[in-house]
Amino acid sequence: MDRFLSIFFQLSLILILAFIALPILVVFAASVSPTATITFDPSQWTLRWFAALTASRWLDPFLLSLKLAAVVTVLSGLLGLLAAYVVAYRKCPGHEAIMALLVSPLAVPQIVKGVAIVLFLSSAGFYALLGTPGLIMAHIVLTLPFVVRMIAGAMYNFDKRLDQAARILGATSFQRIRFILLPIIKPGLFSGMTFAFILSFNNIPLSVFLVRPGETTLPITVINHMEYSLDPVLAAVNVASLAFILAAILLFERIGGFSAQIHGGSK
Amino acid sequence: MNSNDIEMVSVTKTFGSNLVVNNIDLAIPTGEFVSILGPSGCGKTTTLNMIAGFAQPSSGEIRIRGKSQRGVPPEKRGIGMVFQNYALFPHMTIAENVGFGLKMKKRPAGETRDAVQNALRRVHLDGFENRYPKELSGGQQQRTALARAIAPEPSLLLLDEPLSNLDLKLREAMRVELKDIQEQLAMTFVYVTHDQDEAMAMSDRIVVMQDGVIAQTGRPAEIYEHPRSSFVADFIGKSNLLPISDIRQIENDWFVSLGTKGLTLSVFIPDGMSGHDARYCCIRPEAVRLAVTDEGIPPLPNRLEGTLSRIVNLGAYFDCFITLKDGTVLKSLVRSTRLPGLAVNQAVFLSIDPDAVQLLSR
Repeated sequence: MDRFLSIFFQLSLILILAFIALPILVVFAASVSPTATITFDPSQWTLRWFAALTASRWLDPFLLSLKLAAVVTVLSGLLGLLAAYVVAYRKCPGHEAIMALLVSPLAVPQIVKGVAIVLFLSSAGFYALLGTPGLIMAHIVLTLPFVVRMIAGAMYNFDKRLDQAARILGATSFQRIRFILLPIIKPGLFSGMTFAFILSFNNIPLSVFLVRPGETTLPITVINHMEYSLDPVLAAVNVASLAFILAAILLFERIGGFSAQIHGGSK
Repeated sequence: MNSNDIEMVSVTKTFGSNLVVNNIDLAIPTGEFVSILGPSGCGKTTTLNMIAGFAQPSSGEIRIRGKSQRGVPPEKRGIGMVFQNYALFPHMTIAENVGFGLKMKKRPAGETRDAVQNALRRVHLDGFENRYPKELSGGQQQRTALARAIAPEPSLLLLDEPLSNLDLKLREAMRVELKDIQEQLAMTFVYVTHDQDEAMAMSDRIVVMQDGVIAQTGRPAEIYEHPRSSFVADFIGKSNLLPISDIRQIENDWFVSLGTKGLTLSVFIPDGMSGHDARYCCIRPEAVRLAVTDEGIPPLPNRLEGTLSRIVNLGAYFDCFITLKDGTVLKSLVRSTRLPGLAVNQAVFLSIDPDAVQLLSR
């Protein structure tokens, strides 16, 4: 019976993985097929569509998305750190209400958030903020709840006796944050920032309201292109951004060492 | 050696309406190993936290090396501390942990390295510099915590039940080592524990706390031999603690009645005590001499007969429970080689030297 269960679980795992991976394989095949007809014959495969990505109509949106995601990641990391510190260590009254407020955007659909931000900016007369500054703000509203939760979780788990131990050894409050608190919550900080990066880089529902002509992010450019044609260059864009995001996650993991936190094991 | 490292003057600590430490006065001389001993909730950890600066006295004053510590944060007090859960920094190597205090004080790297080496050698952990805390056993982590606390060479070290997470064998070995280190470094140790064996084994002086007040202060032998209250007698060591129902004087001799069924013992009244104040008597089990025949016990006044109701074999000793004729149960500690054939339900004879009966007024 145990054996049967074990085989059943393994089979289910394979099916789930296949369900996740197969569409990616199809997209990959599409990105290297010479025509819009997908072929799985490697002898016909070509890198022509990937070469097309170096044109400025793809490169510029990619660079914008990259810049946007980088700024959003750093800012929401910083803001999240400060907010989580205040909330987790009860540095001010009403910390529970603040936490609720910080994570409340999660409950609002992104489309609604997008409309609200555009209406706010235009009715308040901040037309200059439409475009990249508005995108940054909107994305931070989206990413901050994730970042705050991740960092606050790490701070709640932080053993305060470590702080006491550092203190009795003569560490000032700045030294304790720098040498004890930050290194220990680093995995939480970096996993939050990884989420922020992915959410920002892939975002459509918020960005669609805030991009300006000639200044669009990569996902919006893909949507626009799809309205006119469904050619293999779209598949190439997808494969390239997927590879890029994987590389970014690996980089964050190398710096932050958070994989243990994500899959719950110990390193 | 005659100056005091720590002085606490009428220190009181309340948490809300809860009186945790009630008006204690305590002076800890430089270079002494002082244990604060008491059951959980007696205020001993709060007392330690107030010395460290993690808690502020509600009233009263704490002086360290003669200076009032009011408004001085822990990081400025220049004292070391060993925590119960060790509180090692998990992201730092053993060497980084031990060198942390010196690094915070911005000492030169060479000096720090030497101090780390010295501290690690002292706790027999040289060679572990590049390991991480989680790669070490509980005992090794404990030693690391000690090395980290002594590396900056504070004159005063606070220890909060540092051995309570170790197994018995290790705990006993560490007692000897802690005492050695304290003597070698001539540091003042303030050691908080609920384990009376630990306090007895290491301390120059023991401060027994009960419900936020100091029940008794004294050298270990003094406290063991002359407990001042039934609480101290009961808490330190094993004892036969019996309430006194009556005490009377016949010429120069005093007699106490215990219980209601006529158990009477001849006792001595110590100087400075009025016999009529006695409420309890305390007899240490090793002072209850046990024999299997009438001739086995000396011809002293306090001769009792009873039945052996239980024997707990401690290896070198038997912990014997004897039920007397009137139903009172007395404990007696018997060297197992002296009476190897003891058996339950055997009739036995007891004698108690009147000197060994401690009279307590509360």
